[in-house]
Amino acid sequence: MGSEALVRKLPNDIGGDAAGKIERVEHELLPWEKRCHALADVLDFHKIINTEEKRRGVESLGSEMIGKLSYYERWIVAFANILFQKGILTPGELAVKMQEVEARYTAPETSHHG
Amino acid sequence: MSDHDSSHDHDHDHDHDHDHDHDHDHPHAPITADEKPGYYDVMETAVRELLVERKLFGADEIRRQIEVLDSRTPALGAKVVARAWTDPDFKSRLLANGRSGCEEMGITFYDDTQLIVLENTPDVHNLIVCTLCSCYPRPVLGLPPDWYKLKPYRARAVYEPRAVLEEFGTHIPDDVEIRVSDSTAVIRYLVLPMRPKGTEALSEQQLADLVTRDAMIGVIPVSYLKEAA
Repeated sequence: MGSEALVRKLPNDIGGDAAGKIERVEHELLPWEKRCHALADVLDFHKIINTEEKRRGVESLGSEMIGKLSYYERWIVAFANILFQKGILTPGELAVKMQEVEARYTAPETSHHG
Repeated sequence: MSDHDSSHDHDHDHDHDHDHDHDHDHPHAPITADEKPGYYDVMETAVRELLVERKLFGADEIRRQIEVLDSRTPALGAKVVARAWTDPDFKSRLLANGRSGCEEMGITFYDDTQLIVLENTPDVHNLIVCTLCSCYPRPVLGLPPDWYKLKPYRARAVYEPRAVLEEFGTHIPDDVEIRVSDSTAVIRYLVLPMRPKGTEALSEQQLADLVTRDAMIGVIPVSYLKEAA
């Protein structure tokens, strides 16, 4: 296949593509997914990240990540990248905060063993 | 807002399988309080807390928005449909401006979206989709089902709607025109299904109880089965 198709249509622009049978899947959002959705809304309300920016942020994850991450996983990663690009957060700050959040769950266990 | 969340989802091309695995079907283990959260769960908490620390918004705003999301279900859209079936003046106002029609019924729009209500008739059947992502009339229907966000529906609804509808068990005769409306970040659609026959004696509330989410997306009709007397 030539590369022209890649240029003519962005990865999310799938209307009209061939695709499989529709499977009527649904799931109840996990608590973090619902928080992620609320976060998206609040970011939009405050004009920090609007919907179009979010869509573009997801598109720019590239087709491999888009394929392997779930819907809300794509959102939160896109939000982080957009916040880095805007200079609101840095990757280092996020890494430190993530360790801190994780430590809330691992700390008791560690002390138990100690 | 979210709405456009749609935006996001692009599941792209190939990812059909992946999405599938990830988004939907796998049963998740029950979550216990001390269970270690997953990587993306931790990332969400970290991003949110950092932004709250910077005072870009308050933690209460997230809690409030979760309550708003929880309050939006297809029952709201169903009330709008039942009112349109029973009040012709309301119906014409609703078709003229979907958003203000819904607002008249006390449904607030928490985002900047406009709503266009598409009326099904014996000659025209409407179907809504978001080919780019997952735009959906969230203020009146809540969050979209996963299949609405996945590739097969998004890709095919626009070019073979009859085949898509057949997969939902809906047969639209060839002499009925099918109109597919592709949602955007700012324009959302809601299908006003046809009122089923035999419902003349039902109250507005009883009518609303017949109206399902999928009927307001346009993939199935509203049906009314008279109980065997």
